[in-house]
Amino acid sequence: MSPTLAAALEGAAKIAFVWACVLGAVLPNLIWVERRMAGFIQDRPGPNRVGPFGLFQAVADILKLLLKEDVVPIYADRLLHTVAPLILLVPAMTTFAVIPFGSTIHLFGRDISLVIADVNIGILYVFALTSVGVYGLVLAGWSSNNKFALLGGLRSSAQVISYELAMGIAAISVFLAAGSLRLQRVVEYQASGTFLGFLPLWNCFPQAVGCLIFVVSAFAETNRVPFDLPEAEAELVAGYHTEYSAFRFGMFFMAEYLNLIAASAMMATLYFGGWSLPFLHLTGIAGSLASIAVFATKTGFFIFLFVWVRWTLPRFRFDQLMNLGWKVFLPLSLLNLLWTGALVLWRVV
Amino acid sequence: MPAASGQLVVFAVASFLALAFALLMVVQRSPVRSVLSLVVTFFALSVLAILLSAPFLAALQIFVYAGAILVLFLFVIMLLNLKEEAADEDDRPVQRTLGLLAALALGGLLAGATLRAPAPGGVPSPRLIPAPDEIPALGRLLFSDYLLAFEALSLLLLVAAVGALLLSKRKFE
Repeated sequence: MSPTLAAALEGAAKIAFVWACVLGAVLPNLIWVERRMAGFIQDRPGPNRVGPFGLFQAVADILKLLLKEDVVPIYADRLLHTVAPLILLVPAMTTFAVIPFGSTIHLFGRDISLVIADVNIGILYVFALTSVGVYGLVLAGWSSNNKFALLGGLRSSAQVISYELAMGIAAISVFLAAGSLRLQRVVEYQASGTFLGFLPLWNCFPQAVGCLIFVVSAFAETNRVPFDLPEAEAELVAGYHTEYSAFRFGMFFMAEYLNLIAASAMMATLYFGGWSLPFLHLTGIAGSLASIAVFATKTGFFIFLFVWVRWTLPRFRFDQLMNLGWKVFLPLSLLNLLWTGALVLWRVV
Repeated sequence: MPAASGQLVVFAVASFLALAFALLMVVQRSPVRSVLSLVVTFFALSVLAILLSAPFLAALQIFVYAGAILVLFLFVIMLLNLKEEAADEDDRPVQRTLGLLAALALGGLLAGATLRAPAPGGVPSPRLIPAPDEIPALGRLLFSDYLLAFEALSLLLLVAAVGALLLSKRKFE
């Protein structure tokens, strides 16, 4: 087998694996988890009729979205109205390409790095894609020709641009410490030593402030409660997706969940050691498989955090959101950069 | 060489899209669609950058231009609720003539430069593996050889930011 063919096969296998996990396993179960968790937190049963413990609820939900009538408003811009959900969905699906989901596995005489594409612009690639997703929200709002949708779209663009700044500067500190934009390298760096002698070298310890900024900004970037102002139902009906129905609405829904999963994976990778375990070196094929499990567990925790926060906290006001982003997070993230620079300079991390 | 011809196809598609949407941006009457055409052009340009083994440039192109600057354009257009331009009223004949002359001059210059450029020496070898870290090298260049230009540019941005702040403050007084 020629090396080109082997590389192509390897890439295809990794893509198939990641998408099977994300689209086939995590996404449908996330619908169920969110609805059941909501029930638990609000002291009610939640959906429990479809299958054991309501486990097949996701199937019912998705079927409903597929079978409903698809309505496009007469005065909507038809082309953009159709394209908008796709613009949101495609970047959400491709973010996973650079996130390392395990260590290097030795199979069929090849060393396979468990990341679809370990490109040298890793973090930048994720940010570039996130910034493209904004177009989906803005265009959905604009093309619907509806005041509420337009307001939702405008809010989302203002919100995402504002928080992208703080988030980006927090991420700069991460690769300042790791010395590379490559995400696989960022994880290896965090697995490589200790911080102050007794803590793992996970970025969440030396850069606690940056970690907090990143996590909170991720909530804003994914339009989740407490920052779901673009679709605040009390004031904007449903915000940018007011005029979407059936599977077009389903695409927004899917994109939101995919962004949530990607954001959780990014948090685990950038700040919590990715697929590595502290003080333990996972070796051999069993170790590589264990690293996948470790990564899945960490990502799962942050997905759980997203759901937990959504059903626990009330929504912010828009001016509070903007103040937090520009007047608190932006200066704090710069201070965090300064702090990390000092740590790197004096070789503490 | 299959990889090289694949590159050629991608190059052809990306260049065609870049040119076609650049044209659409100018011809389009609706400002929102104009901005969106420019976004597609930027995407095509970033594909070209990847073909030249410069993924960093490609990511910045999308992150900064498509992701930040053009979103702001779109934001302002939507905020002002600009509708389609009114039908042609030739109320600025001087600008129109000057603009046409300048465009012709620039076009002629570019055509001349393209014709006089040396022919490329064969197809560059295809690289399946991403280029080695060019980012540290880029940083080193920026802070050594191009330090003056770099600092001048950041000063320019600072002046622009202060100016924008001043303008927005004055409105409320």
